[in-house]
Amino acid sequence: MQDLVRSLHPLERKVIPFLKNSILFEELLEKTKLQEAECMRAVQWLENKEVLKIKTDIKEEIILGSLGKKYLEEKLPERRLLEQLKKKKLSLQEIQLEEGEKNIAIGELKKKAAISMGKDIELTEQGRKLLEKEFLEEKLLKVLPKETKDLTEEEKLAFENLKKRKEIIQIEVIKTKTIILTDLGKKLIKEKLDFDLIETLTPDMLRQESWKGKQFRKYDVKINVPKTYGGRRQPYMEFLNKIKLQLVQLGFKEMNGPLIETEFYNFDVLFQPQDHPARTWTDTYHLKHPTHGKLLNDLVVNRVKIAHEEGGRTGSTGWGYKWDSEIAMQLMPRAHATAVSARQMVKGIEIPSKYFTISRVYRPDVLDATHLIEFNQLDGFVTDPSISFRTLLGMLKLFATEIAGAEEVKFFADYYPFTEPSVQISAKHPQLGWVELGGAGIFRPEITQTLNIDTPVMAWGLGIDRLAMFKLGIKDIRYLFSQDLKWLREPRVI
Amino acid sequence: MPTIDISLKDISKLVGKEVTRENLEPEALLWVKGEIDGEDGDTLKIDCKESNRPDLWSTEGMARALSPFYTKERGMRKYTAEPSEFYIHVDRTVDDVRPFITAAVITNLTITEDLLKQLIQLQEKVSMTFGRKRKTVGLGIYDNDKLTYPLAYKAYKPTELKYVPLGFTKEMTLKEVLEKHPKGIEYAHLLKGHERYPVIIDKNNIIASMPPITNSETTGKVTEKTKNLFLEVTGTNLEDCKVALNVMACALADRGGKIHSVTLDYGKEKILTPNFSPKRIKVKFEDIERITGLKLTLKELKELLERFCYDVKKAKDCLEVEYPSYRQDILHPVDVIEDILISYGFNNIEPVIPKIATRGELSEFELFCESLRNALPGLGAQELLNFTLTNKEVLFEKMNIKNYDCVEIANPVSSKWSCIRSSILPSLMEFLENNKTAEYPQQIYELGEIVIIDEKAETGSQTIKHLSWALADKEANFTRAKQVVDFILTGLGLKYETLEEENPIFISGRSAQILINGKKYGILGEINPQVLKNFSLEFPVCAFELNINDLYGLKLSL
Repeated sequence: MQDLVRSLHPLERKVIPFLKNSILFEELLEKTKLQEAECMRAVQWLENKEVLKIKTDIKEEIILGSLGKKYLEEKLPERRLLEQLKKKKLSLQEIQLEEGEKNIAIGELKKKAAISMGKDIELTEQGRKLLEKEFLEEKLLKVLPKETKDLTEEEKLAFENLKKRKEIIQIEVIKTKTIILTDLGKKLIKEKLDFDLIETLTPDMLRQESWKGKQFRKYDVKINVPKTYGGRRQPYMEFLNKIKLQLVQLGFKEMNGPLIETEFYNFDVLFQPQDHPARTWTDTYHLKHPTHGKLLNDLVVNRVKIAHEEGGRTGSTGWGYKWDSEIAMQLMPRAHATAVSARQMVKGIEIPSKYFTISRVYRPDVLDATHLIEFNQLDGFVTDPSISFRTLLGMLKLFATEIAGAEEVKFFADYYPFTEPSVQISAKHPQLGWVELGGAGIFRPEITQTLNIDTPVMAWGLGIDRLAMFKLGIKDIRYLFSQDLKWLREPRVI
Repeated sequence: MPTIDISLKDISKLVGKEVTRENLEPEALLWVKGEIDGEDGDTLKIDCKESNRPDLWSTEGMARALSPFYTKERGMRKYTAEPSEFYIHVDRTVDDVRPFITAAVITNLTITEDLLKQLIQLQEKVSMTFGRKRKTVGLGIYDNDKLTYPLAYKAYKPTELKYVPLGFTKEMTLKEVLEKHPKGIEYAHLLKGHERYPVIIDKNNIIASMPPITNSETTGKVTEKTKNLFLEVTGTNLEDCKVALNVMACALADRGGKIHSVTLDYGKEKILTPNFSPKRIKVKFEDIERITGLKLTLKELKELLERFCYDVKKAKDCLEVEYPSYRQDILHPVDVIEDILISYGFNNIEPVIPKIATRGELSEFELFCESLRNALPGLGAQELLNFTLTNKEVLFEKMNIKNYDCVEIANPVSSKWSCIRSSILPSLMEFLENNKTAEYPQQIYELGEIVIIDEKAETGSQTIKHLSWALADKEANFTRAKQVVDFILTGLGLKYETLEEENPIFISGRSAQILINGKKYGILGEINPQVLKNFSLEFPVCAFELNINDLYGLKLSL
């Protein structure tokens, strides 16, 4: 009991003196002079402590609506019509009722067989009788308010009728709460409660040491508290940061490029011919505004042109067509991260060097659980005189084990317009099984030699989204760019 | 890239050994860069990833490339064309519209339904992928016995001539064919704007076709009753026309057809097609070793190449190889070296982990961005990653902004994704709209890329990074937003001031620009209730947006 007393909140203390074996909540509220929410909280806490029980009764009460109040004074429209017809039959126009009431009144009287409709409206035998008698509806209106469960059979009939008509009656649901003390409660109210407990420790108390010798109110440490959400990093961003770190550890340098690119960097520098199907409208986005950019480096532009047309000094035959700088100037949202590599190679690279980028790219597709319309691509390249196809396979194997945690790899011949030889790598992930991890190859000499890079350059791109989905535990790829705050707030370890 | 239907029974007959799905996968398929996409009884759907080798896009072509894998066949298959009297006069009128034609006649064939199906499949794939949807190359197949030689390839005015196009019964002018025939409608753009349209017409002035649109119903229809075939290829590049013709002719020769050459009289010169003379290329030994990373003996190289349908000619200082006339994909010796590697088998190569010492590093700017991204969760803000694709309604209209400019997509898949965002705050507002059932307060931020128009820039635009933050809460107000701005900017050691600025996004009088040394770096304020209504939000929102590129520049200059 002493523990119980020490754990009482100040609000609970204010309520307890007014409790008796059974009291209505309204009455308690009035006596304690507390706010309704405060009083309710105190009562609920006390219920949790098994000091009392809250019994809720629900009753439905029928009360007068706005029209109901009016009709109680002015009589129902059907009564007024009945009385008008008492003297003589009337045509529709002669009836003196408001427009909205006319039809209702006629309808009601017809239902009661009180009138007959001809050219004019006149009372029937039944109608004359009703002149002397009160309608059931009128009787009901007089006895309101009344609880639904207390209605007589006749009143129920009238109630059903009036319910269909607008604003005559209303049903009010009234909840009443009765507070009943438990045995524990009955003992508690006899206890002395007015000794001094510290509710909140204040700086004043500490300065004056007034806390000494006093007791603190005891808390219910099991109590449920309202949820709070800390801020978190976006999980896919965290995943990408981890990948970046792994690449930096492998000696890769980060590179960047713009979201809007000229076709020159997207395709031409990469030796993709200007009539290549991948450059058409179905495969890539084009821009309505702005449409064209500029080609700044004349020397490079000219060498790229020659490489496309007849190979230049690269030992290639070229594609054998007339290269058009107008097409190369067209702008588009970057279609692949290799455009960033192209930009870096034009800017100039050291030998040896290793570069990577995680870049946003765009593809015309329909957004659904397995397709994104824009996504991040992990791409990069390595250049060194020692590079061969064998070292390319070695690097890919390293990626597979280091980044994807793969146990086994397989290589497939593949075709990419800018690499020769080209290879696709599949990795066996311990949980996912065989997944296509990415594509790679040695940049065609038409690309590198055109840019004065005479050492071989291995280019690679890894598809990391399936790995990300696995790490994030999602089946729907759209969650990488999640629009769901509840999901983002969930704790997880990447 | 092209997907080809192949019957296992058919390909086994052509290879001379039983070919099954089991013995195709995985090694044999790698030879043709194929991947099985589906299976329907005896038919396999093979996705051929090699988009520059039309010779592989048929059962005959796959069988030819795979034969050395299954049998002892080595080196290049020999094809010959019998000289003949077949003659086509090429009139100069075609120069402006579709200047080149190549042709062949095939006899001695038994034309079955299956053969026709294969033939049409190959014709379609070559015209579509190799011929860029008939633009650079288009193929036609005819009943040779219905043509009276010599033929002429000549261009006529759109209403000058009439013929009955394939599948129709009534004669139409060339112009009407483009307007009414389904293929005419589909490919009319290839001839549009030209004064004359190309036609193949025979000695009796009977039109055989209007390339690359459609054949005539009378002569250009091939059935099981057809005995001898006439093939023609028209296009914008003679080399491509020759390659496409050889691809078709070799496939028919593999089926037992006898090939006859056709004389094409271009006026200045006469050429004979098809011409099966092999093509040649020299490959340096040192390049082979450098690129493959393998030490291969001459004998090994010879075997690897011959298994890949090459003939090795000379091998003194370098390897001189001959390869089939139908291959157009070899531009450079590296293309041959890749074939050596495929022939060797990628999975037979022992990978070598490269030992290249370089220093890894993240970009300085990216690190700066990361430090800001890491600071905000400490204040309880949740980081977001949103799409940069959006639309004008979200970007401007719902934000109360009247005058605007942003990057617009010409061919959006959906109008919902038709612009690239020029600020991040609309992304945050849309996120809040999508999360009205999540608990409040909602404090969110994103530091990411946006694009602004800059006509003077190389790409007509600038990609820059912005940071935007928003709080939706019943106590969201100017002070809360300014506290976060203050936390970030004083954290960077920057002195800033805020100056009142009318901005339709924010409530008038509760909207500010963020200034450092008199220059604007961002905006701050309480979101206008009209904007909240546009995003159907029922909580007040305060927010800010900062230009991170400019802040980084400023930080560097300090």
